[in-house]
Amino acid sequence: MSDAVDVDELRMWLEDGYASSVRTAYLILGNRPDAEDAVQESFLRAWKFRDSLVTGSSFKPWLYRVVVNTCNSKLRKEIPHRHRRRSDDELDDVAVIEDRIAQVALTNDVMTALKDLPAHLRIVIVLRYYADLSEHDIASVIGRQPGTVKSRLNEARRRLALHPALRSEAPSPINFRKESQS
Amino acid sequence: MTTFDEEKLQRDLREAAEEFVVSAGAMDRILDEARYSPGSEGPPRLRSFVERTGRVRSSVMAAAACVVVLAIAVPLFNSEGTPRVEVHANAFKALNTRSAPTAIPAAPNSQLQGTVVTNTSAGLTVVVPTSSKTAGKSGANASKASLVSSLRVEEVGTIQLTVGGQKFQSTLTQLTEFATTDGGFVASTQSHIGTKASHTFSNGTIVLQVPERSFTMLVDQVRHAGFATSVVTSANDVTGQYVDLQARIGALQVSRTQYLRIMSRTNSIGGILSVQQQLDSIQSQIEQLQAQLNLLNSETTYATLTVSLSEIGHVVNPPKHPANGIDKAWHESLHGFAAGFEWLIRIAGPLLFALLLLAALVALGRLVWRATERRRSRVN
Repeated sequence: MSDAVDVDELRMWLEDGYASSVRTAYLILGNRPDAEDAVQESFLRAWKFRDSLVTGSSFKPWLYRVVVNTCNSKLRKEIPHRHRRRSDDELDDVAVIEDRIAQVALTNDVMTALKDLPAHLRIVIVLRYYADLSEHDIASVIGRQPGTVKSRLNEARRRLALHPALRSEAPSPINFRKESQS
Repeated sequence: MTTFDEEKLQRDLREAAEEFVVSAGAMDRILDEARYSPGSEGPPRLRSFVERTGRVRSSVMAAAACVVVLAIAVPLFNSEGTPRVEVHANAFKALNTRSAPTAIPAAPNSQLQGTVVTNTSAGLTVVVPTSSKTAGKSGANASKASLVSSLRVEEVGTIQLTVGGQKFQSTLTQLTEFATTDGGFVASTQSHIGTKASHTFSNGTIVLQVPERSFTMLVDQVRHAGFATSVVTSANDVTGQYVDLQARIGALQVSRTQYLRIMSRTNSIGGILSVQQQLDSIQSQIEQLQAQLNLLNSETTYATLTVSLSEIGHVVNPPKHPANGIDKAWHESLHGFAAGFEWLIRIAGPLLFALLLLAALVALGRLVWRATERRRSRVN
């Protein structure tokens, strides 16, 4: 009985946040299978440990925190091993094919530039400009001080502005506007 | 000045994300997975302890800090809070043993035994009571008079005496007279007579033994026979040992009487031999204990005073006296430096221990913190 109620609650969560979560994970991880895996894992974990959500705290940053941590875990543990294994053995399995398809899909210059950012900078950029979280919320999502978030955002913006994929495009999606100091 | 076009980036990111089409069955897969997975586990205990009970965590931290402070303070307090005086004479510890020179805390209430360390050059006299197993045994019931009358005290002393030129021999004779007049005797003498021709000075050692009651008077007499540079006396209460030996001898004598009675009633040769064997053993023990008692009796009957005699000019570790203010300041500075260095060495041990403890606590805290973080990231 209670399980049914809980699963209904999970359904509500999914309807409310699955699309944005999976797209956030996609922007962070850069490929579809990993993003779907990460979000599935995140929702299951969040639902399993739903009691740890302190009453009164905001659900959205909490869910993003779960998603970001899962993405971080994948970036740290799974993806590097998979790339190493692929380069060693050149396994032509389904995952590799999917990865390659996903990589081909990164035709968008923004995605290319994003992929070249270090993970910790990519995460704050995605959370700030896609998920539209405030710096304070981002700080709570990544478990750092707001000052750290601010400096990471600055660094990420600087790198994106200097990225060749974005500079060559005319008009550039990210460019610097010269403003005369008055 | 350059500014970043944030709106453009936001728009492009959203466009890129919109290219990701959410698959239809994804949410159903998650729901199916959730139905067959175990229910909510709730927050881990460790995490809830660390995160939710900040007060408890603070208390634990405070307790750890207290432990560290105590670890530092207690050894320092023990090493510096109680005055310790170096005792040059033996303090009685156990049967048939004489203790080595030791440091004991000063106890102001003992009147019956003690060590007197006097350095006349420095004008310093310290009376250090010595510990004794029997001090506590005397008890409140025994009257002071009976205690004093049955008291057995072993007294020894050492005096370093300097005499003027041509007075060495006469002083030796005078010391011998002191001992014999008080009812004692000269236990040993060793002397070296110096001559002007060889530019040597006379020096020697004389060991005097006098009845215990005359010891204090003898010390006083000897001190005034010349210039005493050092006087060290000590007294050890061996009453307990003495009484113990007497009691054991008495008990063995009773046993011997019993065995003799048994022997007189025994008719068989085997029985007689067996009892005789027991009697021999008891007799041997009685004789051993009697010898110890006699020795103790002798030591407590006669006090021993060793006098090191030297002529003026023969330097026997003379204490340095600062000649003037600068010299004095220099000596005090050196002394201060040595004292500071000693203090550093003294606190190094407790400090090292405290640091190790602190390091262990930090390591433990770090482990707990990392475990909590790991758990949290797994939960999330």
